[in-house]
Amino acid sequence: MNSSGIIGKIIPGFVLLAAVILPFLPVSTYIIHVVTLIFIWSLIGTAWSYMGRFGLVSLGHGAFMGIGAYTATLLFNSFGLSPWLGMILGAFAACFLGAVLGYACFRFGIIGDYFALVTLAVAELVALLIVAFRETTGGSLGLTIRSVGTSVVDFQFENRIYFYFICMGFLALVLYIWKRIDGSDMRKALAAIGEDEIAAASLGVNIIKNKMAITLISTFCTSLGGTLYAQYITYLSPDTVSGVGVSLAVPFKAILGGMFTLWGPFIGSTIVVSLEEYIRVAYGGKYTSLSQIAYGLALVVLIMFLPKGIFGTIKEKLFRK
Amino acid sequence: MEQLLNALINGILLGGVLALLAFGLNLIFGVVKIIHMAYGQFVMLGFYIIYFFCATLGLPITMSVIIGVVIMALFGALTQLSLIKPLLSAPRVNQLLALASLIIIVENLAMFIWGADYRGIPMDMPIIEIGTVFIRSSYLFAFIGALAVLGLLYLFLHSTFTGLAIRAVAQDMEVAKLMGVNPGLIYYITLMTGGALTGVVAAFFVPIYTVHPHFGSSFTIMAFIIVVLGGMGNLLGGFISAFIIGIVTSVAAVLTTTEVADIVVLVIFIMVMLVRPQGILGKGVAT
Repeated sequence: MNSSGIIGKIIPGFVLLAAVILPFLPVSTYIIHVVTLIFIWSLIGTAWSYMGRFGLVSLGHGAFMGIGAYTATLLFNSFGLSPWLGMILGAFAACFLGAVLGYACFRFGIIGDYFALVTLAVAELVALLIVAFRETTGGSLGLTIRSVGTSVVDFQFENRIYFYFICMGFLALVLYIWKRIDGSDMRKALAAIGEDEIAAASLGVNIIKNKMAITLISTFCTSLGGTLYAQYITYLSPDTVSGVGVSLAVPFKAILGGMFTLWGPFIGSTIVVSLEEYIRVAYGGKYTSLSQIAYGLALVVLIMFLPKGIFGTIKEKLFRK
Repeated sequence: MEQLLNALINGILLGGVLALLAFGLNLIFGVVKIIHMAYGQFVMLGFYIIYFFCATLGLPITMSVIIGVVIMALFGALTQLSLIKPLLSAPRVNQLLALASLIIIVENLAMFIWGADYRGIPMDMPIIEIGTVFIRSSYLFAFIGALAVLGLLYLFLHSTFTGLAIRAVAQDMEVAKLMGVNPGLIYYITLMTGGALTGVVAAFFVPIYTVHPHFGSSFTIMAFIIVVLGGMGNLLGGFISAFIIGIVTSVAAVLTTTEVADIVVLVIFIMVMLVRPQGILGKGVAT
């Protein structure tokens, strides 16, 4: 346990150090771009795992990303409201949906498969609504964020390094929240609920309250991630920040890395985003579809041979003694 | 009023085809207890295969359909062998995501081979006019065909030994094993039946639609909603809810737009899920 504790501190320390000095090394901006994407998806994956690790498997986190991203962008494009503020407003809007959906599900005892299906339907619903209100949202063609050059207030930077550090900061925040949850009474309550809901209730655990709390934290952070992604890419469409595709991609990264561990979603996102980018750059130009087929096959193989997630499996092997 | 009547009749006709579409998904869920996330994409693939044999190679349409159904059955078996079997004891969400990855593979395979163009087999299907009601004969043909196939499936499940074994595995795996049923074999048969059904549904879609690589996704969601609404694994419930969804889609589309119709269907779905997660005919939630 002693040696594992040291390893558990040293490795993240090195990763952090490497991440901080990376932009100052002579690397191409493309690498910075990919790492920024990894930060954003890790953030969202970690936020998803807040719920996922306690058996609340949501397949609808695209809905919360979409609400956050569209709220911030629409407020900025139409009223010039600072996306920093819009990001918070969007997160509250996402929380509102999360609260309604969560309360309805938890009140009626919707768990397991059924919870996954309801959330999946909500993700699709939000995407359809974005498409239907095309006068405001640009429909399926998407929306471009009005460009103002570099402006701190307007959350726009021509130099990617700013986004790099901002996204890293948000990722750190989300990881810190994970730690705080880990040390709280809520974790014990939720773990008990995840194991056996009826038994937990009979011991006096307030199921609805605890589940609602974790759902709101998760949706809030997910929505922040959605806005960050939109601000960084400066373009958003129902397919990229909402809908079923994104909603499945988020848990995919988290589960692949290992949703029960702090660094799991980060590792999963690193692998999936790198794989995606590598295949796209190496073979995408000529054979876009073939590269996508290879990507799909890789995902299937990874999930088949590493059912506990990559980090979960490594950790189990390494820290068993 | 006439428009509404037209919408109602078309909704019923659509419901018949949707019932067949959802049946395969439902059967797979009932027996293997797995949600086939790429079911609509398999229908799309079936459509392309029929298109290939009919329009590209110039075979007669009936022969193309038969070949298409056989190939899709083989694809079903392949899915069982390569994906479902290794994942049977994996966590639920891993199964879902592995099958969802199949969507990426199948859609891009179609994109690679046939490109993004809309493709169809031109057919001359007249519109039947009864008083003020207009019925497209392609819909009527699909409706009658779908009901006939459903009837055959009913006979298969209820009066053959294999059908009995399938139902036994769906109801109680342990007891079925004790009675000498080989569940592995039953899984193969189920997946092959489901696969063949995607080919059959594709055949009925040929006179109605044109196909493109993203053709399947809306049908996956549609089949999904029907199955859950009827009670997962409950074949009769799926049959009834297919007609409900068919009529709601068709009537809502006439009253508003097709987009709003999709939204209405989803809202109904979410509402029903919250109040009655076991579906309209389900027997209670197994947790």
